[in-house]
Amino acid sequence: MKKQILLTILLLFLAEAAALVFFAFRDMNPPQDAVLINEAVHTIQADWKQIHEHKNPTPLDYVIIDNDGAVLFRTKPGLSESLNAAVIHRDTMLDIQADGQTVGKLLIYNDNSRIFLRQKQNLLFLLTAVTLLQSILCAGYTFYLNHSIVTPFQKLKGFAERIAAGNLDIPLEMDRQNLFGAFTESFDLMRRELKKARQAEARANADKKELVAELSHDIKTPVASIKAVAEVGTALADTDRLRNHYVQIIRKADQINTLITNLFTATMEELERLSVTPLDMESREIRRLLENADYLRRADLPAIPDCVIYVDKLRLQQVFDNIFANSYKYADTPVSLSAFIETGYLIIRMEDYGGGVPPEELPLLKEKFHRGQNAGQLDGAGLGLYISDYFMKEMQGELTLQNGAHGLCVDVHLALSGTFKDYLRIP
Amino acid sequence: MKKTLIKTKHLSKSFSTGGDLQHVLKNIDLELYQGDFTVIMGASGAGKSTLLYALSGMDTPSLGTITFGEKVISDMNQDELSVFRRSHCGFVFQQIYLIEGMSLIENVLAAGLLTGRDKMSLLAKARELFSRVDISEETQKKFPAQISGGEAQRAGIVRALINSPEILFADEPTGALNSKTGLDVLNTLTDFNEQGQSIIMVTHDMRSARRGNRILYLKDGTILGECRLGRWVHGDRERHEKLSSFLSEMGW
Repeated sequence: MKKQILLTILLLFLAEAAALVFFAFRDMNPPQDAVLINEAVHTIQADWKQIHEHKNPTPLDYVIIDNDGAVLFRTKPGLSESLNAAVIHRDTMLDIQADGQTVGKLLIYNDNSRIFLRQKQNLLFLLTAVTLLQSILCAGYTFYLNHSIVTPFQKLKGFAERIAAGNLDIPLEMDRQNLFGAFTESFDLMRRELKKARQAEARANADKKELVAELSHDIKTPVASIKAVAEVGTALADTDRLRNHYVQIIRKADQINTLITNLFTATMEELERLSVTPLDMESREIRRLLENADYLRRADLPAIPDCVIYVDKLRLQQVFDNIFANSYKYADTPVSLSAFIETGYLIIRMEDYGGGVPPEELPLLKEKFHRGQNAGQLDGAGLGLYISDYFMKEMQGELTLQNGAHGLCVDVHLALSGTFKDYLRIP
Repeated sequence: MKKTLIKTKHLSKSFSTGGDLQHVLKNIDLELYQGDFTVIMGASGAGKSTLLYALSGMDTPSLGTITFGEKVISDMNQDELSVFRRSHCGFVFQQIYLIEGMSLIENVLAAGLLTGRDKMSLLAKARELFSRVDISEETQKKFPAQISGGEAQRAGIVRALINSPEILFADEPTGALNSKTGLDVLNTLTDFNEQGQSIIMVTHDMRSARRGNRILYLKDGTILGECRLGRWVHGDRERHEKLSSFLSEMGW
């Protein structure tokens, strides 16, 4: 297919070149028509006695002069009317015979210059047409190259950035028709494998956390028993020495309890080590983030009010990616987007048409490891909204979820730069 | 209830430095009132002058709107802004920029004639303003090179007020003056404000800031707080302490 396009373009270029060469080198000086000239001479000789009534039987232009140089006939004004003028203009000159004597001259007008001018005009027209055709071909080919090479590479660049940022949910769109179809397929294969590995790791981590949670519960129960027995012992102890021993046991039991709680908390807080570095950014850049996240083009981009927001662009992209991915996964409907400013926040409202979630589930959606009732067999670790919520809080913003008129409605609150600081007003 | 002169909504200004956007002003929502002597304070690089230039239409904001009276000046083009500034705003800078080849009175009249006003009425107004800033008729005929820095700045104030602007913008007006002449200029500004002239002044000088009745503190392109002081009274210790405590709260 690509070779055919190139070959067609090449053939067209060659055809244009051949046409130009042919036009440039073809004979532009056609020979005089001897038959017409003979006809003219014979007619003039026959009409010589009444030369003033002579009628031109040919398409040629000419002038007839007598031996004294007087003009006897002309087909039209502006022709050479003397021998000298005819010589200068390279006209054809022939003798007119009557009664065996030369009685005058026939000066046939040489119209080569007119032919040359017409040829020049034709050549100019041809050159313009060829240039136009070539421009159209070049523009078409540039468009084709852009579509088949540049755009897939740009997609690949965005894809690589997401992978580098740890976002493995969004597949790389493949088009087997373009030059890089197979190439992109192997990239997406890499993403799927990485995602599987990540999910396995997340599952293993979750299992570990559950084990720690269970163990802590299991350990806390006997410790509580030890403490209860020690408390009874304190009450029943006869001597101060014995009572002090029991008190010591109670203190150590409390200490073990605190250590177990700390261990449990530390494990659960591991996720919060993800770094978020917010900076000032113009709100118009959000359009590109939303465009990137909505890779299935399910939403119309809203008008975004102009302001400066305080966000980590990479993390905000992950938040939008997560919300769109959830909507694709659970609702699989178009997404309605809107943006507005309210009390120190730029709010991006994203609502799908999937009917929402049961009201009792709403408060749990941002919980760690929580998976909705509609999760079914769909893959996921129940961490997406938890991490998104964490990112938004780190950016001085917020993520709120509610059931809208048509489906789940997610409000991403982006802090307006400068406005989240406490304003001091001294009256 | 004071009349609002200037109102901004999400006013933001960014500059591109080596491909990166530097956000100098961020989402500033501000109202400035008629008759106030508003002072904008803040450390160097906080965005004070950028804010002043945006409010006065000398520079256009990157984002947001500025409404001056009933007009949205952030939507105006440069030609419209220049006509608007001439008739509604007066400017006093640290550098006075008097034209060297013209006398003081000619400098002042030139600013007035640009608005197409009648020369006789301008002359009368200029004489009245010069007398209020205590510049004699003899000094008015002198050239800028022949007068002191304080006189030049007071002439600059007269030039700024010749078109009876609704608001006078002053950017560090005493920055290049010594203590005594600086004080004269501050007294002149205070005097005009007491007669009803609205003033916005940018300064990092505490002595100048005390003259204002509303102090705004700018930090990292955002207004961090404001302090209301009453009418200026010479030697008002309480006023001085209130301002000091506000500035200390702001991290001055």
